[in-house]
Amino acid sequence: MNLQSVLDVSVIALRALLPIYAIIIIYQCFASARRHRRPEKPLVMFELLQTGQQIPVLFWENSIGRSKGSDIRVSDISVSRDHCVFLRRKEGWFVSDIGSKFGTFVNGEPARGRTQVNINDVIDIGHTSLVLRRGEEYQERIRPSWFFSKASDKGSLKPYKLMILITFFHLFMAVEACFSNEVQNFIPLYVFGAMALIMWTFFCISSYALNRVNFELEALACFMSGMGVLLLVRQEVRSSIVQLVAMSIGMIVFAVIVKFIEDPDRVTKWRLWIMIGAVGLLAINLVFGRVTNGAANWISIGGISVQPSEFVKIAFIFVGASALDQLQTKRNFIEFIIFSAVCVGALALMGDFGTALIFFMTFLLIAFMRSGDFKTVILALAAAVLAVFVVLSVKPYVADRFSAWGHVWEHTQDSGGYQQVRVMTYMASGGLIGVGTGNGYLKYIFASESDLVFGLIAEELGLIIAFSLAFAIIALAFYSRAITTRSRSSFYAISACCAAGLMVIQSALNIFGITDILPLTGVTLPFLSAGGSSMISCWGLLAFIKAADERTYAAKRRIPKNALRERGVDR
Amino acid sequence: MKRIMTRSLILWFVTFAFLAGTIYLGVITVIHHNKWVQQPFNGHMASAADLGNAGKITDRNKTVLAHSEDGKRYYADDSATREALLHVVGDESLNISTGIQSRYRTSLSGYNFVVGAGLPESLRPNSDISLTVDANSCRAAYEALGSHKGACVVYNYKTGEVLCDVSTPSYDPADPPTITEDNESEYDGVYLDNVVSSTFTPGSTFKIITAAAAIENIPDIYSQSFTCNGSIDMDGNPITCESAHGNQSFSQAFANSCNCAFAQIAVQVGEEKMKATAEKLGFNNDSYMMSEIPVATSHYDATGAGNNALAWSGIGQYTDLANPMLMAMIASSVANGGTAASPYIVNDDGNLINKLNITINKNKDVNMLSSDTASKVKELMRGSADGYSARGVSIAGLPFCAKTGTAEVGHDKEATAWFVGFIDDPNHPYAFAAVVTEGGYGIQAATPVVNAAVSALVS
Repeated sequence: MNLQSVLDVSVIALRALLPIYAIIIIYQCFASARRHRRPEKPLVMFELLQTGQQIPVLFWENSIGRSKGSDIRVSDISVSRDHCVFLRRKEGWFVSDIGSKFGTFVNGEPARGRTQVNINDVIDIGHTSLVLRRGEEYQERIRPSWFFSKASDKGSLKPYKLMILITFFHLFMAVEACFSNEVQNFIPLYVFGAMALIMWTFFCISSYALNRVNFELEALACFMSGMGVLLLVRQEVRSSIVQLVAMSIGMIVFAVIVKFIEDPDRVTKWRLWIMIGAVGLLAINLVFGRVTNGAANWISIGGISVQPSEFVKIAFIFVGASALDQLQTKRNFIEFIIFSAVCVGALALMGDFGTALIFFMTFLLIAFMRSGDFKTVILALAAAVLAVFVVLSVKPYVADRFSAWGHVWEHTQDSGGYQQVRVMTYMASGGLIGVGTGNGYLKYIFASESDLVFGLIAEELGLIIAFSLAFAIIALAFYSRAITTRSRSSFYAISACCAAGLMVIQSALNIFGITDILPLTGVTLPFLSAGGSSMISCWGLLAFIKAADERTYAAKRRIPKNALRERGVDR
Repeated sequence: MKRIMTRSLILWFVTFAFLAGTIYLGVITVIHHNKWVQQPFNGHMASAADLGNAGKITDRNKTVLAHSEDGKRYYADDSATREALLHVVGDESLNISTGIQSRYRTSLSGYNFVVGAGLPESLRPNSDISLTVDANSCRAAYEALGSHKGACVVYNYKTGEVLCDVSTPSYDPADPPTITEDNESEYDGVYLDNVVSSTFTPGSTFKIITAAAAIENIPDIYSQSFTCNGSIDMDGNPITCESAHGNQSFSQAFANSCNCAFAQIAVQVGEEKMKATAEKLGFNNDSYMMSEIPVATSHYDATGAGNNALAWSGIGQYTDLANPMLMAMIASSVANGGTAASPYIVNDDGNLINKLNITINKNKDVNMLSSDTASKVKELMRGSADGYSARGVSIAGLPFCAKTGTAEVGHDKEATAWFVGFIDDPNHPYAFAAVVTEGGYGIQAATPVVNAAVSALVS
């Protein structure tokens, strides 16, 4: 065997192992996310003075009322359907009246705004008196979500080991790119080096400066972002560096948002300013926007192009979610509807149909999670109005693509199917294990690094990795839904679900758009597509999911390891 | 919170929709990967250059039809074999889209779904393709066709293996011509494999279909008698025979290939039932394949055109168009008691790579006739074959059942000659169809082509 064939065999062996390696990494990220936390016990409980009945308080925010869906249900005609909210903050427990007919009283005093409630205090609603008691006195066990593993299950990988795995994966990609078919040099290794440095710095700050015990979400984002950066190296070194810078900014944005929403009430104070800021950004875009590929969704500041709509996504989640006592007010909801209409309308005016659709679907998601009974009517009306905006924006810009939908193979040389057929051809050409980083041909097609990146991944890294990444996004959504059962506020529950939902919707539009399953293109794939604004906004959205995990803020009390083990608590 | 948690299940709904779409995408990728890869714009398959390392193509006797050496593509040794198999094998260009080198270019160049198109040359596995055709038979048929434009197909009606598939005009793939305005008439239709991709006016061979329609729809057809005076008036327009056949039974009319009788029979059957039978026999059907190569759609429709048109359509004129492969399949169904074997050309003794890539084929066999009708049509075709034998026609000395055709195409052109049938011998179960344009009488122009092809198979 000569040297060439030895080299060939090792390249192929490496290529065949990468998909397995990727699956292991993604699995480990979620294995770690599934770790069981504190035992499922009620926080505190209420005792009904009249009957002695015990009601456990399971959440950090609880609605009290006569209606069926209330967390604490009181069957008493004189209690309103949604009477008050009982919530926990740093300072202790509070009760907040949400427009009940006969009011809420703490120890006989009428409660105005949030009123603190201590153990053994009495809350009077209608003819019912609730006495606050400690949670330990309640015996029944509560079933955790199916998503979480049992405490007895095997331990997951330590965060630093997970990061080592990811760094090696990126190293393999970089080495492969160094020996690509067309160009051979060591630039990919330099890019890899810089990237590894950024990721490990981020990891160290997170675990030692911010004392965060878990890192699985960040690890997954690092894994995907890094993959995107390395795919770009053999296409255009400059854009891979831009992507790297955007990733660093994204990490900072992530850390800032996680810190900022530590107190869900802080968001309420800033809500108006966030809305004004977002609308202002869109307005600037509308006035100074550059038309690129049919949509005026870019602005240029000092030579740097940004896509404001990406940042508005974060604001959208901020405005959409709220703490439970705020959530119930009509004003809060109407503000959100108006804000949504402005966002979707502005995007439609810009001709950015894809993003408008993402916003609209996320709006439906948020609105559904918030609204119950009477609001549904307003919701439907608002939805219809927004849909008209969407349809209007469809007409001139996407008509071409719509006409070719479903039979792109008859449009291999015109804009109706040019990109789609090439994506499918090169996806299939990559086979299960891919042709290797930097060896693809799809990279010569316009927008291959952004809109068509799923095809690029499939071609260069293989179908297994491409589909594993899609499944990682799916797993992220299940994780987000599962952690809401333990969320400290409805703000986190809604924002995490909707941030994950937004990513799923965006991934669906991206992947299915370029493979002719859906009739549109022009949205990015989270973390993987080239584009600084998109990268930053994805990290920002991830912060909401991170914040919803109760471990994020609870971890600061550092307990010695053996003490933990004795108490049977697993971090 | 409880309410929000319940409502958050909407996220599951969205996620499941995405999951379903992803799975769907995975499934269609697995199903269609071959079609997706085999695109002229695919950079991994950059046309001519890539055949320089492609696998061998061999016939059923392991004769090498094409192979690569030192980055160059070579074809069979003698030029007649090269030209005879041009349309089966294909050349370096993708002009002959039904050729193996076009259709299976990705497989030949070492692509497979697991490792993709990125395998280094040193590791490319054997990607040879073995065909069912017999190069000798093809060459014999090619030489018999001479300078005529035409086609000849012979296939095994028990197994479906295509043994002879020849189309003319042709050229030497080792030295492809530059087609310009000056010589384009010489190379008219040269990129089409007439066996699978063309249709011709069927003429009297269509009487097989009309006869089948009569047997199935006219209960007393065998007791009817038909008088032929050499001409019959059909709604003010005469239909003629070469000579007056006199009084004949149904079987005699078929053996005589009597136009006057079959014009009346077609009218008796009626336009709806004629069309129904033709469609059962594969006309107006675009779903037939030879391996993965689509068979051109044959045409029959005389509904709403009046009795004169119906009469002409019943004797294979009017707007009737028949594909040679389909005519051989119809012969196969007659030979097989009603079921036509589905033809295939790529052998399944290929290697693993090709097993991954090529649906080796057995497309489903096609049920065309009831076994009763099939045996009756077989008797009719045996009767006409006896007549041909009496006039000196021999197909390698084997017993055969067949029907000739001489289709008028107008424009002062000579007629299109046809010969369709099968060898009635379990050791040589061959169905055949030959068509020779501007060949004149079927019995003179088309039978020698089939004889040459089958004789080469038998020897």
